[in-house]
Amino acid sequence: MTHSSSAPLASLARIGKTYGDGDTEVVALADADLSINPGEILLIEGPSGSGKTTLISILGLLLKPSRGSVFVGGRDVTALPERALPKIRAETFGFVFQGFNLFPALTALENVALAIRMKGGRHPEHEARRLLAAVGLETRMHHLPANLSGGQKQRVAIARALGGNPPIILGDEPTAALDTKTALGVMDLLRTLATEQGRAVVVVTHDPRLERFADRVARVEDGRVIAIDTLAHAA
Amino acid sequence: MWNLARKILLHDRIKFAVAAAGVSISVMLVLVQIGLYLGFMQNASNLIDHSHADVWVMGEGNENFDFAGPIDERAYYKVASTPGVARAERMILAFGQYRLADGGQQGVQVVGLEPGGRLLTPWHVVAGDPARIHEPGKIAVDTSEFGKLKIDAIGARREISGARAEVVALTKGIRSFTTSPFVFTNLDSARAYTNFPADKLTYVLVQAEPGVDPAALARDLDALPHLDAYTTPQLSIRARHYWSSRTGVGAGFFTTAALGIIVGLVVVGQILYNGTLEHLREYGTLKAMGARNSAIVRVILYQAIISAVVGFVFGGGLAVLSRLAMTKANLTVLLTPNLVAVTAVLTLVMCCAASMLSVIKVLRLDPASVFKG
Ligand SMILES: Nc1ncnc2c1ncn2[C@@H]1O[C@H](COP(=O)(O)OP(=O)(O)OP(=O)(O)O)[C@@H](O)[C@H]1O
Ligand SMILES: [Mg+2]
Repeated sequence: MTHSSSAPLASLARIGKTYGDGDTEVVALADADLSINPGEILLIEGPSGSGKTTLISILGLLLKPSRGSVFVGGRDVTALPERALPKIRAETFGFVFQGFNLFPALTALENVALAIRMKGGRHPEHEARRLLAAVGLETRMHHLPANLSGGQKQRVAIARALGGNPPIILGDEPTAALDTKTALGVMDLLRTLATEQGRAVVVVTHDPRLERFADRVARVEDGRVIAIDTLAHAA
Repeated sequence: MWNLARKILLHDRIKFAVAAAGVSISVMLVLVQIGLYLGFMQNASNLIDHSHADVWVMGEGNENFDFAGPIDERAYYKVASTPGVARAERMILAFGQYRLADGGQQGVQVVGLEPGGRLLTPWHVVAGDPARIHEPGKIAVDTSEFGKLKIDAIGARREISGARAEVVALTKGIRSFTTSPFVFTNLDSARAYTNFPADKLTYVLVQAEPGVDPAALARDLDALPHLDAYTTPQLSIRARHYWSSRTGVGAGFFTTAALGIIVGLVVVGQILYNGTLEHLREYGTLKAMGARNSAIVRVILYQAIISAVVGFVFGGGLAVLSRLAMTKANLTVLLTPNLVAVTAVLTLVMCCAASMLSVIKVLRLDPASVFKG
């Protein structure tokens, strides 16, 4: 697959983010640049408090930057009003979190179907089955989260993130709560989604072992993207 | 969506049980309290409501139906000769002292009716011949008052204010608001039982000629000197209104019912809010992925509606049970279709109002918060 020639799915240009003001002012990001390409896995690494979560929240249109511009599909969405954002988020991003955030009362299938339905998707039930099968959970569809392993829960969350077919999956430490073997299994799944379906996967992590799945690694320190390394195996 | 909302709501059975219990108690309190009130109010105007009169004429300035003052019999002739009056009947409504078998006394509310009268007769007759109350010294009483009257069958002979009284007919479910049992009899016996002077009476019941507007006729009769006249529906409202407002009985029942609603509001609101807080991360995740606010609000409202329906069914059941219990205690809980319908709507509104805190919480929920911790 040749992704290098295609335009970025989304990008951040000279993003600054300051929390609070006066004495409590925290500069979380300064002059951060980043672009997301189809089919790649981009890791975001950096020490605690460096601004990784802030960066991915701004990228996912969950947080307004203090400065700079956010582009989605080549369009500058920085100044769009709040009410315009849910639709763009629904069409563009799927989110995966460390804590899975599945409704404990709902089965895997219902959790995924609920998200699809709430995004206004068609045939939520049918679509949810397809997605759960795609993440290897066809035999666990009717299990409640409590009866699934951590890795399986994260796969349900990934299936849910894929509802509505968004081109970009954003994960904030999606493997942090998993043991190594399971974590690598989840990354393997994300790798497949990138390679075979051309989705961009952006993963915030502390774990250097995940690098083997990545195409690029953005290193964040003190609110700056200090380096973006293209990994040799991905070239 | 209903199904998913139900599952989210029922996941914690205990919490749901508490919420449903809160709504049920609320519903029961509203139904029983207002039902009791309606029962009492039904009693307050039952003679009026079961009459076939179009207009009631009485002495000037009476506020209370049960304690109306006597008027002169000449008023009856004036009323009867007023144009538009097809039929006029005399009625006496006054209190007498009924002598119990054991020598004690019981106040009774004597209803004296016109011989051959058609505008008011005992209704719900379950035994005997009500026409026989026009024989001297014959009365009809209600089976629900057997306890107070210390009799248990037709044919009982007692004295009222020293005059002989024999029970010749029985009715079922005719109860007074004053709690003094009604005793139906003829005009002459009624005078004897209540020490009414021979030329006095309490009410004149009027039937209008066909085509004559009762309200217009009531105005004409009201214009007669020293007399007031009301149409039957007007008098019914007056009778109930008097007891409801002058005795505070209305305020009492409605306050308890309102307390019931507040209890329901607080319990359901608290449980729904708690559930929403517990699922804030999940709702936030859905919001982050572009779930529409309307869709999330719907999941919460559906939970409120499910609580309302379950609570209404159980509360309604409890109300029916307590009605049975109260019937045994000779209290009427009147669960009219209107009351039930209004309570159903009220329950729904209450539960939706109770969910507003939760709705505001998720509407304000910042989806970026799901990235934290
Ligand atoms: N809502 C907020 N209000 C004030 N300061 C904040 C807020 N969110 C983050 N910060 C600050 O901004 C800086 C960057 O935070 P951020 O959460 O982006 O870091 P991070 O790289 O994700 O850290 P970690 O690896 O610990 O998750 C930190 O100094 C943090 O304290
Ligand atoms: Mg973070």
